[in-house]
Amino acid sequence: MSVRPDETESKENAEFRREARAWIAANKPAHPGFKLPQSFLEVESERQFEFLRDWQRKVFDAGYLGLDWPAEYGGKGDPLKRQRIVSQELNRAGAPFLVNVIGLQWAGPTILAVGNEEQKKRYLKPILSAEEIWCQGFSEPGAGSDLASLTSVAEPTDGGWLVSGHKVWTTLAHFAKWMILLARTDQVHDSEGQSLRDLRAHKYAGISYFLFPMDAPNVTVQPLVKMSGEGGFNQVIFDKAPMPKSALLGQLGQGWQIAMTTLTFERGAAEGTGGGQSTPADSSARAVARLAARVRREGHPAAGDAVIRDRAAQLWIEEEALRLTGQRARIDALNMDDRPLATRLMNKLVYSELAQRLAEFACEVLGPDATLWVGDPQAPDKAEWPRAYMNSFGVTIGGGTSEVQRNIIGERVLGLPKSK
Amino acid sequence: MSAATPIKLEVPTDFGCTEEHALLRAEARRFLSERLPIAELRKLADAGVGFDRALWKELAQLGWLGLVLPEAAGGAGLGWLHLEIVMEEMGRRLVPGPFLASLLAGVAIAEGGSDAQRERFLPAIASGDLVATIALCEAGGVFEADGVSATAEAVGGGFLLRGHKTHVICGTDAGLVVAPFREPSGRIALFAVEVPAKGVSVEAEVCIDPTRPTARIGFDGVRVTAQACLDGDGAAAWHAMLVRGFAALAAEQVGGAESVLLTTRDYAVARKQFDRQIGFFQAVKHPIVDMMCGIEMARSLATGAAAALDANSAGAETLARMAKSLVSDVYCNAVRKGVQLHGGYGFTWDCDVHFYFRRAMWSRSMLGDGIHHRRWLAERLFEA
Repeated sequence: MSVRPDETESKENAEFRREARAWIAANKPAHPGFKLPQSFLEVESERQFEFLRDWQRKVFDAGYLGLDWPAEYGGKGDPLKRQRIVSQELNRAGAPFLVNVIGLQWAGPTILAVGNEEQKKRYLKPILSAEEIWCQGFSEPGAGSDLASLTSVAEPTDGGWLVSGHKVWTTLAHFAKWMILLARTDQVHDSEGQSLRDLRAHKYAGISYFLFPMDAPNVTVQPLVKMSGEGGFNQVIFDKAPMPKSALLGQLGQGWQIAMTTLTFERGAAEGTGGGQSTPADSSARAVARLAARVRREGHPAAGDAVIRDRAAQLWIEEEALRLTGQRARIDALNMDDRPLATRLMNKLVYSELAQRLAEFACEVLGPDATLWVGDPQAPDKAEWPRAYMNSFGVTIGGGTSEVQRNIIGERVLGLPKSK
Repeated sequence: MSAATPIKLEVPTDFGCTEEHALLRAEARRFLSERLPIAELRKLADAGVGFDRALWKELAQLGWLGLVLPEAAGGAGLGWLHLEIVMEEMGRRLVPGPFLASLLAGVAIAEGGSDAQRERFLPAIASGDLVATIALCEAGGVFEADGVSATAEAVGGGFLLRGHKTHVICGTDAGLVVAPFREPSGRIALFAVEVPAKGVSVEAEVCIDPTRPTARIGFDGVRVTAQACLDGDGAAAWHAMLVRGFAALAAEQVGGAESVLLTTRDYAVARKQFDRQIGFFQAVKHPIVDMMCGIEMARSLATGAAAALDANSAGAETLARMAKSLVSDVYCNAVRKGVQLHGGYGFTWDCDVHFYFRRAMWSRSMLGDGIHHRRWLAERLFEA
């Protein structure tokens, strides 16, 4: 899914792209020799984390992160907004991903959009330098697709708030310094012990958005094991964990709207992130075609199989279609005037499902050897493909399931009746 | 065509899109919504009128019949992104007649003809005075130059043409048929044959799409002058024309699918069952969303192919084939779901969706379906 310079790119942009490309080529770290996570969802060990954090710091120090963010908050204030070019080049080079994804792509742009001056000055620069890692406390055991039914509470005290509750699927919580946290602030007078679920009238208005310090007392981070057997995400339990007054982002009770802003960034539907790749470098139709050239089925090269060729070509078509859709989304005149946001809002849904189909197809191409798992010396590509297939569900489920995405697109873009 | 081509699919960042393109879209949409509401199309279809001369003249006056033809030959000299927009808008309204065929005949003559041949035919095509069509197919599912078996034999300063062409759009209305023939050397030559002519038999086919009537044309020892043979490399001109045809038809299919999407969406909002609008139900809502996502993806490829043609990009053919492949499936999926989600009403002649259903079926099978183009694309993908 790489984008190459073309004849219409401005001279300064093309020059900048060349510089970035050369810098990445010269500075991209060699493979460390131990297993690396496929994405930020699977960072398990200290050494994986340190390797990735060093790389992000290096990219930042070289001036290739935060280009689109204002200089007073540690960014570059680039008038040409060229972070996109760096991301494309990182992707193209197959460079390791930038580990502070939640900070760079979700929390950072949200703070930039709704934070006060003090918050922007405090939080943004350490996001870029990877000095402070972020995690996200949105989902709960009882609040997944129906996020607004969350029950974690922030209780006001003299100096700030006390948080109680249970968050799940908390990627990077074990390395994080901060969490973007959604908690209810509508039940504070509920001294009678009334069930929080009864406060439906306040379902949306009763939520506030906080920047929670993960080193606070009374916070427990417990690892969760994914279907792939890998770690990387967690559950986080708060038992009257304190945070200061200043932890509130935006207005009290405005949390739901701000969360929607975060999700817009998370789903890749808005520009203005701190940087980093949003697409893995090596899960493309071309990679599967190369795989098929190496794999034999019934003694014959898989690449000669007409069915495999047809299906690979189909995936290639869709990959290019998605790439061009991203390019077209930025040109108003080439979008439907009755649904200008369609090409942006569909990105997460289409991308995640396509990546999943690609990974599954690669497993199928592998034939019997698709059954060899991580650790087997004969596993093709160290079992990269079955692992990628399992991990792909993190993207079709996380950030709003494909089913919820279809509801959002149907209702917000096509004007179909609301499901709730 | 089998050499390992480096895959380069660059499309100009802005697709070469200007204010002029937006104006053209607005003009096309306004004209067609007034001139050809679906009730009007239904009248034409019910009356068996697949070619409406009055409408044809109006398209000529708008400059559309010569949109991409050179200005020197009476055309507007505009680009493929302009054409993409006009085709998409025409697809939305299922404009009947031989627009696609006339376009491709003009392109073939512009690509392969001498100055004299261009002067002779192109201004008349652009003005609508001469209805030109293209004989795309032969029996055996042939439409790319490699498989052409109709023959041209040089005799007495002219040629003798033999062979059978099928699925010729508006073949019974055309005054000019452009078609490929194989010379004894094996070389492909394109001929512009004025009809009627001695030895040319034209027989209407019963076509699934009444808005796009087709014919079988037989060349039974047809004598033509040397001037009927286009001067240039016939295979190259045919190939250049086909690539533009993939892009143009894909754009028209995007427009048709868009109409089906909007019609189905409107029905899902208006129709109530179980005391609710049926679009409330996710079994109805989600397929409509998938329909939209497919259409947006296909639109990106069709637009990208047009922009690549305008930029003379090496990836234009790849993108045009990708567009034709994806949108053929997307349009057929849209009409399948479109009929289904309209329920019992969708199964009737009264419901408009079947007109699109017919066009979708026709369009998938012409100029290569997904199976055809993916085979070509796989050659590139697996060589890269």
